[in-house]
Amino acid sequence: MAAKLFTSLAIVVLGLLVGLWLVHPPATRANGDKHEEKGGHAHVPAPLEYADVHVPLSVWTDPAMIARGKEIYATRCAVCHGDQGDGKGPAGVALPLKPPDFRDKDGVAEMRDNYWFWRVSEGGQVEPFKGKGSAMPPWKGELSVEDRWAVMAYQHTYSGHDGPHVPWEHSESVAMGRDIFAMACVPCHGVAGKGDGSVGDMLAPRRAPQPRDFTSAEFKFRSTPSGQLPTTGDLFRTLTEGVRSGGGPMTIGLRGHRIMPSFQHMPIEQRLEVLEYVKSLNRGFWERSEVKTVAVPAPPTVTPERLARGKQLYADAECLACHGERGHGDGPSAPTLKDSRELPIAATDLTKPERFKNGAKPADVYRTLVTGLAGTPMPSYADSIETDQAWDLVFYVLTLSNNDRR
Amino acid sequence: MSVILAMILTAVLWAWTASADEAPISGTVKAVDVGAQTLTLEVASKEKTREVIVYMKPGAKIVRFIRAIEPGKPGFVEQEVPLGTVRIGWIVSATTKHEGNREMAEQVKIIVER
Repeated sequence: MAAKLFTSLAIVVLGLLVGLWLVHPPATRANGDKHEEKGGHAHVPAPLEYADVHVPLSVWTDPAMIARGKEIYATRCAVCHGDQGDGKGPAGVALPLKPPDFRDKDGVAEMRDNYWFWRVSEGGQVEPFKGKGSAMPPWKGELSVEDRWAVMAYQHTYSGHDGPHVPWEHSESVAMGRDIFAMACVPCHGVAGKGDGSVGDMLAPRRAPQPRDFTSAEFKFRSTPSGQLPTTGDLFRTLTEGVRSGGGPMTIGLRGHRIMPSFQHMPIEQRLEVLEYVKSLNRGFWERSEVKTVAVPAPPTVTPERLARGKQLYADAECLACHGERGHGDGPSAPTLKDSRELPIAATDLTKPERFKNGAKPADVYRTLVTGLAGTPMPSYADSIETDQAWDLVFYVLTLSNNDRR
Repeated sequence: MSVILAMILTAVLWAWTASADEAPISGTVKAVDVGAQTLTLEVASKEKTREVIVYMKPGAKIVRFIRAIEPGKPGFVEQEVPLGTVRIGWIVSATTKHEGNREMAEQVKIIVER
């Protein structure tokens, strides 16, 4: 009887211990959680300040860059990442969060170039890697941008892939973004992102604006100069805020205020993922040599003189030809306006700032004036007016809505 | 039967405690006290940063890794260095055991010197 009782008790205790082990692994004093080692190398999207750092295509296969990278790797990286790129350098094996294995072609394929550059630049000093106990040092202070590209190109050779490390060679690197795009964007932007989704015509029947064709070079809302592709930050702003405009029957659900919904409630990481997929549809994002943005200086104080100059400029720059004398979008040229797809397009009613597609804050209006809206008749005034004149015009335009209400 | 169960129970408990005891700590050196034979490390764990004082066990080694100098010999070799060599800001990894309330290091590996 006693033996049976003991056996039963032992089984219960053993079961409890095993259960406890499974549910709550033994506490470790180490800072690296060994149960999350794989997660420690999760390829989260690069933050916006790194999102536009796409490595030039030629770097990945340039023998000179690879040789330069090999030299740097041997002196700076191999002690942890190993001479064979297997993450088993003598210092690496001692780390709580083990260095990745660059020979793992699937793992490397999932790493986007901007993520990789971010990791090399910031090391383990940023989240989520810092919290996982990463000992990776930041190299941005010691290695130039080209040196960091070179070392990435050399590390890339361990994976056995001999082409450029880009999404159209590694579709798995944008798989999550592609799934989100399929659920949230395809109805308007189409399966291939050409702006030809099945409901696009119902947003604004036979007129502009139509959903963006992501494969073209025309992006309306940018902080980059006229004719250039937007930054990831620009795309993020549009995705987050949506696009204000009245539209057809399909915009009833958006209460008639937006032609593209705001995705502000989508988690930031998911927004960044979907934008990485959107960019992958246009190789131009990898082919531009650098990303220049238009600086928006601090706005000056509004004075009656400034508004008077802005009113004069509004006439001189022929804004009233499209937007009308009082800004109602009823200028003499307004009925003839067409976009780059030859669809009729309305001049913005400047008395309704809530409909300004590129935003209605002074900085937004300034940016619109300087960059223009690609694919529409709204030109860039970057080369025709000075900074101070642009502010004069911005403040005058913003008074049109006030005047209208009086 | 009860003996077998007791053995299994003991093995499970031993494995549990052993795995908790053998774990590296890596972090940035915040202070070095040669007299007390300690290193203070700033370590990050579970999205929190804390300072850990690592006590050097008698006979504990501090090593850095240098390229083998023999011609044709690949890889790295260990070079033992005294505690006083370690500088604030370096990144190290320490293999420690929890004894009393102290983290006792048997070996400290220098990861990055800067």
